[in-house]
Amino acid sequence: MRLGFNFTLGDTYDMAQRLIAEGHIDYCEFLIDNFFCVDPDELAKAFDCPVGLHIMYSKFLEADRPTLVDFAARLRDYIDALNPIYVSDHILRFSHEGRAFFHLGEIDYSTEYESVRDRVVAWQDIVGHRIHFENYPSIMDGGREAPAFFERLMKETGAGVLFDASNAVCAHRNCGTPFEAWRNVIAEAQHFHVAGYRHSLVEPFISLDTHAEALAPDTLAFLRDFRSVFDKPGATMTYERDDRIEFDDIVADLKLLRDLFGQPEERRHDLALSA
Amino acid sequence: MILLSLPSRTDRDLYPALMSPELNAKYPTDHKAFVRIDVSLRMYWHTLFDICPELLELSGLDGMSIFRPFMAWAGEKKLAFDWSYYLWVYVWLRQSPFKDRLLADDKYLRSVMAASAARWAILDRGRDCGIVIGCADTRNLVIGWKCRSVRLGREIELIEPEEPLPAPPDIFGYFTLQTFELDVFPGWQSLAR
Repeated sequence: MRLGFNFTLGDTYDMAQRLIAEGHIDYCEFLIDNFFCVDPDELAKAFDCPVGLHIMYSKFLEADRPTLVDFAARLRDYIDALNPIYVSDHILRFSHEGRAFFHLGEIDYSTEYESVRDRVVAWQDIVGHRIHFENYPSIMDGGREAPAFFERLMKETGAGVLFDASNAVCAHRNCGTPFEAWRNVIAEAQHFHVAGYRHSLVEPFISLDTHAEALAPDTLAFLRDFRSVFDKPGATMTYERDDRIEFDDIVADLKLLRDLFGQPEERRHDLALSA
Repeated sequence: MILLSLPSRTDRDLYPALMSPELNAKYPTDHKAFVRIDVSLRMYWHTLFDICPELLELSGLDGMSIFRPFMAWAGEKKLAFDWSYYLWVYVWLRQSPFKDRLLADDKYLRSVMAASAARWAILDRGRDCGIVIGCADTRNLVIGWKCRSVRLGREIELIEPEEPLPAPPDIFGYFTLQTFELDVFPGWQSLAR
């Protein structure tokens, strides 16, 4: 298992460099649409390691085709320049009736499958690259339908799943989605996310994907129990931290992941060849 | 746990309530749906007051005398809650009981203009590099620049032009810049709702 760190803005550039230099991570994941005004060649030279490209705001379920074509044209420049290990995106809602959510919304897996599938097919076609779609940290009970949805989506579209392990832990805690239900998805997936979560401020407590805390014991237990399903040649796991960014805390969590998965067998630059 | 008569199986069932304190009040407080909506509403609250803490001087520490009526007004107007979120808060404050205190100190205006410029630079995925925001209440301009280097973040500038631009026809106006230079004035665009 190769370990990576999510690089979202220049503030953490020096820290990401240090994580690479000290061998705590093997690759970097760019939140790529944050960097659409940066020259692709500058990004390609930014880190001496392979990279993944994670998309935040394509809004491919909601945006019109000309907007997506323009977004994809710019994304292609970075794909061509950076030769990423993977390209990933999100299946979620950014707005309702034209009004933006500030805490993004989960889709209804049972009623929206066909429309999402068609959008996924079209979006991959526009980008011209396989895309790995991230699962949502479900809160409401409809989240129990997510594993079957993603399994079917992979089968029918050729898309991958960027499986976020801590999102699955949140879903397990919030709506009882069994870890076992994800087994086939995890087995098929090559690229993973993991991060900390916290509880809501009011009861009945729900677990929120915050990227601001240390890895929770139940997240580590989940990874340990499914270790052989997660780990495979070419697999990557990005440790996400977007708040309370302290080098020592991040390294402590990365060491836990290294202890769990062991040192990766392939050399760092072999990753690019496994895309 | 109270049985809930409102649909709440999926997140989608809650979408209209995710931005409405009024609708949240219809859900029993010990139901998961209430907490999920509360999480969403707190994001709107924190997005406003964490970035513009000066506004709490007007409202009191919990911010609710601004937040609740503004969110209700925003719901009536069907505001998009895009990058201009903070500017609309100012528009609302200008016609609220807070008006006199708001206009007595321009720090509130500077704060909301900077916050909206930053939010544009964070959220906009078009090809433009920067945004210029103007206001009828000031000759100053605020510019938000997107990230232009892997080592930098977004940048916000306050500009006091020697030759002021004409005031926007509405309270606020904006225009975008296709390069990292402020070298054009194409005219003001009005805020979209």
